[in-house]
Amino acid sequence: MGKLKMYTDRMSQPSRAVLIFCRVNGIDFEEIKVDISKGHHLTPDFTEVNPLQKVPAIVHGNLKLSESHAILVYLASAFTGIADHWYPTELSRRAKINSVMDWHHSNLRNGAVNYVIHTTLAPALGRQLNPKAAIEAEKVLLSSLKALEDFWLNGDDGGFLCDNTQPSVADLSMVCELMQLEVLDERDRSRILSPYKKVLQWIENTRTATNPHFEEVHNILYRVKKKLEQQRARTAETGTDPSNRMGGPSKI
Amino acid sequence: MLKVKVYADRMSQPSRAVLIFCKVNGIEFDEIKVEISKRQQLSPEFAAINPFKKLPAIVDGRFKLFESHAILIYLASAFPGIADHWYPADLSRRARIHSVLDWHHLNLRHGAAPFVLHSVLAPVLGLPLNPKAAAEAEKILISSLLKLENIWLKGNGRYLLGNLQPSIADLSLVCEIMQLELLDEKDRERILGPHKKVQEWIESTRNATRPHFDEVHKVLYKVKEIIQAKQSNQGDGVMQSKTKSPLPSKM
Ligand SMILES: N[C@@H](CCC(=O)N[C@@H](CS)C(=O)NCC(=O)O)C(=O)O
Ligand SMILES: N[C@@H](CCC(=O)N[C@@H](CS)C(=O)NCC(=O)O)C(=O)O
Repeated sequence: MGKLKMYTDRMSQPSRAVLIFCRVNGIDFEEIKVDISKGHHLTPDFTEVNPLQKVPAIVHGNLKLSESHAILVYLASAFTGIADHWYPTELSRRAKINSVMDWHHSNLRNGAVNYVIHTTLAPALGRQLNPKAAIEAEKVLLSSLKALEDFWLNGDDGGFLCDNTQPSVADLSMVCELMQLEVLDERDRSRILSPYKKVLQWIENTRTATNPHFEEVHNILYRVKKKLEQQRARTAETGTDPSNRMGGPSKI
Repeated sequence: MLKVKVYADRMSQPSRAVLIFCKVNGIEFDEIKVEISKRQQLSPEFAAINPFKKLPAIVDGRFKLFESHAILIYLASAFPGIADHWYPADLSRRARIHSVLDWHHLNLRHGAAPFVLHSVLAPVLGLPLNPKAAAEAEKILISSLLKLENIWLKGNGRYLLGNLQPSIADLSLVCEIMQLELLDEKDRERILGPHKKVQEWIESTRNATRPHFDEVHKVLYKVKEIIQAKQSNQGDGVMQSKTKSPLPSKM
């Protein structure tokens, strides 16, 4: 079987999750950059890999696969020597991890990604900021954070989702989702996240368990964060409209 | 071991998928009806099973689980004698089933459920119709149907991913589409008509899971009658009845 190919854009949080997973678990792969901001996901070559034109996607032997959760589950099962805690063999523990990942789609992801786009990243995508859509997304995001805090992270000895003491693919996926809040204005980010102490601790636990790869793969996000901060500072000084295009990230 | 308990409302499409799966595969279970129209999902008893107060959920011994995809995977793995095609042991085939199930959430489901709610079901629930939200949802629905037709149903198989036999993904996604039965015929035809493979695939899935498929979907047709009766009342200029019909909620 040929070497695993990972088609990813590090500005995309599900891409980051699969990259970190491979790094942490010593899976040998080739990273093929698909720059969404340059429209590379729309090329015929990439469409051949994933007709849905989304990242991440992988090619492994004859298998072409998209959807980050499916990819994580596949990698955890297909490669040898991956510690069981990433995707436990025991059926009920595995089922809980599937459950929280299913929940993720319409809740945490739906809230986080739309909030960040409509409050912050839209101009970079050549779109208008949309305060109304941002308010809708914020509701979904806040209720998802509350659900994480009060339910998914409510175990006794936890530290990770579903009362686990070690991280699973679900932790990695959902912490990467939350990490995109880094690009928000610092006050806004703190307003949103600071009430959720367990969530904050969980982000740290996941970061620590997967470092140095976690930080390395997130570097790009910190660079965009800096750029946006500088832009905000300039706007504050000059009062100019920030909504001119920045050569930054696309839809993440 | 005690029978598995399935908490379900047959007006909810993920509930229907789980019920049909159990019946087709001879899994012994108790169906516990939780009627969303009566807000029974908000009861403390049900919140103890699923704190998110959504259907379906199962209890197997001491184990509680919600999210229909996770439930289908668990049932297919935990019960003996379930044919492999429902959730193949082969890792690549299994992975592709996960992929289409993951896609389902923010695509087909994200379009179909709000579209039906905002374009026909709302009045039955005592809510106003919301044409703007319906239009938004319709876009997602149409683009999801196109992707089903041209990507997921590509190939010669009758089922998703070119498979020759149905998987849990077929069951889940077909049950999602079945709610379009609630639309008036013209609307349904406008939306589904152009997608021939999708239509054939619905029929194949229905045939493969008969008679349970039809039996579990019966409730949809009853509700359709109620919706039509309401619509023709309105057409006659009769005031819309404010009395709450014993009917389904958000599905
Ligand atoms: N549910 C998918 C989400 C994939 C997705 O939305 N990818 C985004 C980047 S985060 C993308 O490729 N966007 C390109 C576009 O929408 O045009 C997963 O988890 O992989
Ligand atoms: N992703 C979930 C969706 C569950 C869901 O949204 N259930 C709806 C019925 S289809 C529900 O229980 N709604 C009750 C409510 O929103 O109050 C699954 O597949 O199980």
